[in-house]
Amino acid sequence: MDNTCQVYEDEIQSLEEEIKLLTEQYKDIQQESTFYSEKEILMAIKSFQGEFQGESKGYGSPSDLKAQLESLEADLSFLMKFTGIQFTRHSKKTVERTRNRTVQKHRLSGTCYSLSFQLEFQLLEMQDEEKVSSVITDLCIVMESGEDLNVSEFVSRTEEHGDLLTFFRSLSSYAEWYEHRRRTFLHFK
Amino acid sequence: MEEGRACTWEGVFTHLERLEAQAHEAGRKQEEKEQQEEKLARLKERVEELRTQRDKLQAKVDLQQKGQTGRKGIIESGTTEPSAGAVLEWKIRRLQGMLQAFYLTGISAKLTKRGVCFSISTAYEGTYLDSYYLDLLIRPEVQIHHHSVPIFIPLEQITKRYLKTDIRRCLSVLSDHLNAYARRKYQADQLQEHFSDQLEGTLQRNSLCNLLVFNYKVPGEGKTFPFNARLIYRDLCCSLPTEAVVSCTEKAPESLQETAAAHSELFRHLALHKAFCSFSRAEEREDGAP
Repeated sequence: MDNTCQVYEDEIQSLEEEIKLLTEQYKDIQQESTFYSEKEILMAIKSFQGEFQGESKGYGSPSDLKAQLESLEADLSFLMKFTGIQFTRHSKKTVERTRNRTVQKHRLSGTCYSLSFQLEFQLLEMQDEEKVSSVITDLCIVMESGEDLNVSEFVSRTEEHGDLLTFFRSLSSYAEWYEHRRRTFLHFK
Repeated sequence: MEEGRACTWEGVFTHLERLEAQAHEAGRKQEEKEQQEEKLARLKERVEELRTQRDKLQAKVDLQQKGQTGRKGIIESGTTEPSAGAVLEWKIRRLQGMLQAFYLTGISAKLTKRGVCFSISTAYEGTYLDSYYLDLLIRPEVQIHHHSVPIFIPLEQITKRYLKTDIRRCLSVLSDHLNAYARRKYQADQLQEHFSDQLEGTLQRNSLCNLLVFNYKVPGEGKTFPFNARLIYRDLCCSLPTEAVVSCTEKAPESLQETAAAHSELFRHLALHKAFCSFSRAEEREDGAP
């Protein structure tokens, strides 16, 4: 009797995990294959406000969602102004999702001050007890470096080591210096 | 009339008590059995419920993967236009994705009621390590509210110099310090983890990981650890040592002394765990040589 109970309980646990994984997979694909323009977003906000008695379908109250949206947009806006890094395009595709591992392919384009970049990389996230560790692989960087050999050398070095963080830290300081130089020259014209 | 009557009133009562206990016990056992059966039935029902749910989901996902085109993704039969809530949730997830991208760049932030909380991430090449936060108040002037910077990082020195005049520079310098520390620590950890058979005991290090001392050998060299390495990283923003002293015992043969000198040079230019990796590779090459 007890044994059968245990067998059922084990199966229940494994089914629940499977369902969780499938749900996340489904959400990933939905998220990554849809696109809504700013206009559609604004319309959604307006219509959502109009129907606050209506079914929220498990999405949380309209004011909560709107607040969350505004807070995130404020954070991003601040960051872009502060760091000088503007992301113009960001797309990702989940390539693998298991209980402890997620692998996503990212495409990220943007500018840092006046320098533009295009990146592609794979991001592996592993859940190990409490900690989530992230590793970048297959980093591919495209930059219009123009006349600057230092930049192209630097880019290939960071690409080789998957060193995304150093790329951005250095890009940031280089771009700031470049901008400063550009403005100084303009001033003297 | 009373002769032969073995039953006294007491006897009867005892007998009745026994019967009652037996009935009670039987009743209890029956109840237990019924409960077990009920539980089993419930579990079985739940399993079937979940199986159906899982199969439905699997079918949905399979359908998605087959027809993954179009701007609006998959229009499933029977569904109408996405609800406003779904659209907003989509946008929220997108924004969260962008903030995650900022995390990967090394500096991320979250606006707070009284200021802003910066998050500085560290990484060794493609592997992200610990991140640290700096929670700032902006009124009446910029000051630190909370932080998670370790005590051996010269936070006060850095903020005293830059915080009030150039926050960006302040974060940049702090990031350099934290990343260099994280990378030194990573190298030492990697050495300890992957090359412990070449180390005598454990690596000695200070909390800032800018002083490392260890005895080691190269692979295939028998049981002694002929080399002693002492690495000093004077530049706190650098993850390569400024000084690498590799010595061996005085009685050691010339070849060993030469190796020590070569290693000393190597440690100053190559990350510690990569240097040890190259020892293994050199060993393999020697084995393979005719």
